[in-house]
This record gives sequence, structure tokens and C-alpha cells, in this order.
Amino acid sequence: MFNPFEDFKDFLSKTRGLPLDRLAAAHDQIIGELTGGYGKLVEQELKSLVWFVEHNRVIEAYKTASEVIRDIDYDAHSIEDFCYALDSGADIPYLISGPAGIYVAALCNHTPEDQIVLRLGEMQRTLHFLGYRLPYGKSLRLEGDAGNFTGSALQGGEISITGSTGDWTGAGMTDGKVTINQHCGRNTGEWMQGGEIWVGGRIRGLGRMTAGCIYQGGEAVAGDALR
Amino acid sequence: MEKQLKELQQLLEQLWPEVRRRHLFPEIPPPRFDSNNSTVAMEMRNKQIILNPEYVRTMSRTLPANAVLEALLDHGISHYTCCPWDLSTHLRFYARAKEILGEGDLARKATDLFMDVVADTHAVKERQSSLPLLYKSGIRTELEEIICSLYERIWGVDLGCSKEDETVSRLATIPYLDKGRWMASLSRFIRGIRPHLEESASHIADEHTRMGKHGFQQYAPEDIEQALREFAVEADSPEQFADIFEDLQSQLQEVDGDVDEGMGHGAGSPVDANRLYYMKLAENYALPLRRKDMKGSGHLHPHSHRPWEVCQPFQDLDPWCSFGKYLPGITQIWQRKEGQIYGRKEKTPSCLVIIDSSGSMVDPRTHLSYAVLGGGCAADTYLRHDAEVAVYNFSDALAGGKEYLPFTRSRSLIYRVLCRYFGGGTALDLDEITGVAETSEADIFLITDMQITNLDQTISRLSRLRNRVTAVHVGKKSGALRFVKASVKNKNISVFGVNSSNDIPRIVLGSARNYLAPE
Repeated sequence: MFNPFEDFKDFLSKTRGLPLDRLAAAHDQIIGELTGGYGKLVEQELKSLVWFVEHNRVIEAYKTASEVIRDIDYDAHSIEDFCYALDSGADIPYLISGPAGIYVAALCNHTPEDQIVLRLGEMQRTLHFLGYRLPYGKSLRLEGDAGNFTGSALQGGEISITGSTGDWTGAGMTDGKVTINQHCGRNTGEWMQGGEIWVGGRIRGLGRMTAGCIYQGGEAVAGDALR
Repeated sequence: MEKQLKELQQLLEQLWPEVRRRHLFPEIPPPRFDSNNSTVAMEMRNKQIILNPEYVRTMSRTLPANAVLEALLDHGISHYTCCPWDLSTHLRFYARAKEILGEGDLARKATDLFMDVVADTHAVKERQSSLPLLYKSGIRTELEEIICSLYERIWGVDLGCSKEDETVSRLATIPYLDKGRWMASLSRFIRGIRPHLEESASHIADEHTRMGKHGFQQYAPEDIEQALREFAVEADSPEQFADIFEDLQSQLQEVDGDVDEGMGHGAGSPVDANRLYYMKLAENYALPLRRKDMKGSGHLHPHSHRPWEVCQPFQDLDPWCSFGKYLPGITQIWQRKEGQIYGRKEKTPSCLVIIDSSGSMVDPRTHLSYAVLGGGCAADTYLRHDAEVAVYNFSDALAGGKEYLPFTRSRSLIYRVLCRYFGGGTALDLDEITGVAETSEADIFLITDMQITNLDQTISRLSRLRNRVTAVHVGKKSGALRFVKASVKNKNISVFGVNSSNDIPRIVLGSARNYLAPE
């Protein structure tokens, strides 16, 4: 019997393997592992159903996040793609801004790259705690807006944000520099012990700071520079 | 020159069947050469690949002419067979790119680049294309340098690129050939390429790569119709549809000078784009129109054949279908059945669409209005049944907030009145409506949120009419319940609720239960 597909038989074997297949699969695997790690963190953190921002809680969450990502081999681009995966909610059922932000901060702090660019402008939601504990020698550029506690407990790293940030920006930072192109919210620089915060736009409210300096539109508005 | 062109033409004719075979015989017209003063290698119009002989001649100095032609044809065909495949996908890409980048020109460039990468990668992976040879030769723009570096990385071939930067690393992990993830891939691609696009936005010409731009003019008119219909469903709001439609229309006008209205394009103003949005959206819904019952005629008529048996009468034998034989099992006998006739002369009545456009209703220009969509679907249904439609658009009709379109079959006029938005109070001019209804015997399709000032009088007057009334309430309001109660008492009124676009197909027009079918 005549097979009408006989002419096309040889086409099947001619598909060429490209490095793209391997690259895309490896990237998907990394995102899968990052998602799994986030799942473990959430599982750990949500035992009490409600997540409060408490000092010990944040430290504990960061410690857990650092542990779960220890064996994952990822790069800065994967962090950005993971943020969008979180935002879309397609593979990850829940985005809880606090733990998610701490997890992303841990990813940034442990990646081998020193310069990290996260283009988060198209995200529907903002993440809190971005840049948390960013160590000396690392720079983080955030394109878009960031949530509360951006650059909190900063440890010498440099953060620049093209958009605005929420409340408690730079809270408890010990050293480093936070540059915000637009506005920031209340309690900016609360418990700040060193470093600088540069704000291009409006500051909604300053926090009680111990040391360090806050600048608005290029002029010092609080901290050591005024003493 | 003429001789060279002739030779190229001959070569193209020789290569075309083989290239088509490699691409599994796509249904596209044979390619042709057309000399234009552009530097790009090719363009597509109405699904036909048009090659630039100058470009082919230039490239033939370093590469065999057949390799150049095959590579160009592979690229063109892959756009047709793989990405974007159809205008609907292309529009979806463009809309997403515009949402991210904000500017139409940048969005078009980003979309073109993404589609090129997908189509080229498909051709190299699946169709053994000679595209790498083509990309290896010739002078590259800055964007081309990035794209070539990307190709080098994802195809695993040496294209002589020196660029090894962060952008390429970002772009290299995108699953270009995974169709199901194209929208997410496009977003990632734009995030990666955006700085370069914006940086060179001022000095990049339209022909930013040698493959040129992929305008909407490459599609056939029927593709445009289909794509608009699908895009109307997917658009976030009428405003987004209008925005994308205007871009589409301006590109088509650039090429054709003027756009044929037969292709489904209204004029270019935003209001007309809104009207088109509802017209295309309504085409996705087919509402059932209940017709009148039929009854038995009391007479038997020859209906079908069956084999004759000896015990059956001779008078129903059909010698013409029995090969001239009278043999049981071979001779055919007529099977008689009772005929069906119409109780009365069957006719779809005209329809008077009464649409509420008061302040409590959604403005159809900014948000999807279920009232306009529902009214449009109803009007389309009656038009499809060869009936006429009148539209009465009202807010505070007694204060002059109304527009009445007498019975017509012009779809464009109907949608113009349906899309009009008054805002303000809500009151019906009942004398005017009942006057029209009584003289025309038309079905009445009322669509409102039931927050009508003279609702009780409206219910009472409509229930006294002999016309079939289909009342549709948008949202859940107390007035709706009063209408539902009235519909229980009066057989000529049917009430439906619409809370989402999924509710629209549930509306059965003229479904008055026993009305006009007393037997």
C-alpha cells in the first residue's frame, strides 16, 4: 500500500541538535531549582500562617535562604528570570513579598558575579528586602521600583534603583551606598549606623539614625554631614 | 544587468522546488525579484517573498549565489511556517512589545528581531539551512553584531563575531523554539535587548538588519480579518485594541496608500477603532435565535427508498431506481413520510435593540462594555437571519439623551450608534419605543443595568406589547428582580443576566416561550 508520507520519512532524522537546546534546558533547570529552594523557604517560614517582619525572623529567613541555595549553580540573569517567574505565579503558587525579597537578596549576595542588574520594571508587584545585607564589593542595579526595607542591613555594597522605594529604605545599614533616582517612603535610614542614602526625588519621612548620611537632590538632609 | 537578472531568475526557479520540499511544501506563491533602492535582502508582501537582486549580486561575490538564495528563501519561508506563522501571533507579539517598551517604533523593531531569531533558528535546526554562511559574510550593524554573536552561541557555529557581552549571555538561554512560551520568551528577549534598542533608536534606520522589517503588509486581507477578530478577544481593553489597530492601519496605509474598507477597517479615529473592536469581538459569539415550531401537514410524500418485499403494495414501486426488475430485495419501493409545514409563514422579525448608555454603565471606549458587546451580538444574529435592526441608545431620553437609528441592515451604522456613550441619568421615552415596537412588530432586545428611573412603567408597558422582549441585565441590581418577576407573568418577556463575556452565548433571542405558537 502506498504511504503518502514516504517522501517525508528522511526529514525526521535531519533535525540538528543546537547548543540552544542545552542552554535553554540548563536555564530551565536552574529556575526549577531556585523555585524549589523558594518553596522550602516558604514552607519553613509559613508554619505560623502569617509572616511578620521581626528582626529575628528576618535573620532566620535569610539564614534558611542561604542554606537552601548553597548547592545551586546560578547566575545574575537567572535571579531576574526567577523574579518574573515569581511575579507570574505560573510555576510558583504564592509570592510573599517578605520571604521572596529575602530569598532574592540571598541569591544576589551569593552569586559569584560582583555586578548584578535586575530589570524588574515590568513586574506587577514589588519585592521587599531587595539588597538586604549586600556585602562590600558587590553592586546591585535595580531597574524599576522596589518595596519596603530596600538596602536594609547593607554591609558595604552599592545599590542603585532607577525607580522609587517603599518605607524603611536602608534600615539598619552599616556601610555602603543606596542611590534612589525617584522617591522613597517613611522611616528612611531608621537605625542606620553608617553609609549613604542618595535620593533624587521626595523622601516621605526620615527615621532615627545613629550614623551615616542621607542626601536629597544632592544636599545632605540628615546624618553626619549636618553635625 | 538584464542578463544577470535573468540568470538569477533561472536559478531561483531551479532552487524553489527543492527549498519548498525541505520546508514540507508551504502554500506560498513563488518568490520573485524586485529592484528597489533598499539595502535589505528581502521583504514579504501578501505571503510572497520579494528578493533584492542587488543584495544577492553583492553577496554572490563572496558566496555561491545558490547559497545566498537558499538562505534568504529559508528565512522567508520560516516566517511563514514557524514564526510568526500568522498575523494574530504577530499582533500579539507587537502588543506585548508595545506594552513593555511604550513606543511603537521600538516595539516593531524588537518584535522583528525576535521573530528573525526564532525563524532563523528553526530553519537552521529543522531545515538544514545555509543561513550561517549568509550571516558570516557582509558588513554588520551594531544590532546585527549582537544577533550574530547570539547565533554563534546558540547555533554552535563560527560567524566571526567578537561580541561576547552580558546581553548575549542573557539572550542565549531563551527557549526560542518553544512555541508555548513565546510570549514569556519575547518579554525576556526585550529585557535583554532593550538597552541596545534604546541606545541606537535615533540612528537605526528602518532596515536595522539585512533581513529588513517585517511589516503587517505581508499578510493577506483574510488574515487581517481573522487576526483582528482574535486580537479583540485577547486585548486588555478597547483602548489597547484601538492603539494596536491604528499602528496596523498606518502601516498598511504606508504601503497601499489607502485601505479598503472591505477588509474590515473603519476610519482611523479612536472612536471608529472602538467600533471595530466591538464588531470583531461580537463575531466570536453566535447567539441562537429561536424560530417558530413546525407542524405535520397530514399528507404523505415519497421520502426515501427501501428494498421491496413481496407483501408490500405495488403502487409505491419505483421502476426508475430498480434496474427495470421486479425482484424482492432489488426492486426499490418508496418509503412515505408525513410532511412538515410551517404553522404560519416562517419569518425572523426585525429587532429593536435598546441599549442603556447612562452614567452607571461602562464607557465602551475605555473598558469592555458587555452591553455594547451583547447588543452587537444580538444585532449580528438578526442581520445574519436577513432581518433589519434598529438601535435606540439612551441615557435620560426624556431630557434628550438618546439616539435612534431606524431599521437598517448597515452593520457599520448599527455599531456606530451602539458604541455611543451618553453618561448621565437613565429614563426611557416609552411612548417612542412602544410606538416603534407596535408599528414594526419587531423583537425588542433591551440591555441595561436596570437602574432605570421609570422602570415600573417600562415593565408594565413592555408586558402589554405583543412583541417578543429579551431583557438583558448587566450586573446584579434590584431592578433585575422586578423584571424577572414580570417575565414569570408575561410570556413575551425573557430575562437574562450578563456578568461576564461567557454569559453572552447563553442569551436566546426571542425565546418567548409560547408566544406566537399558540397551537
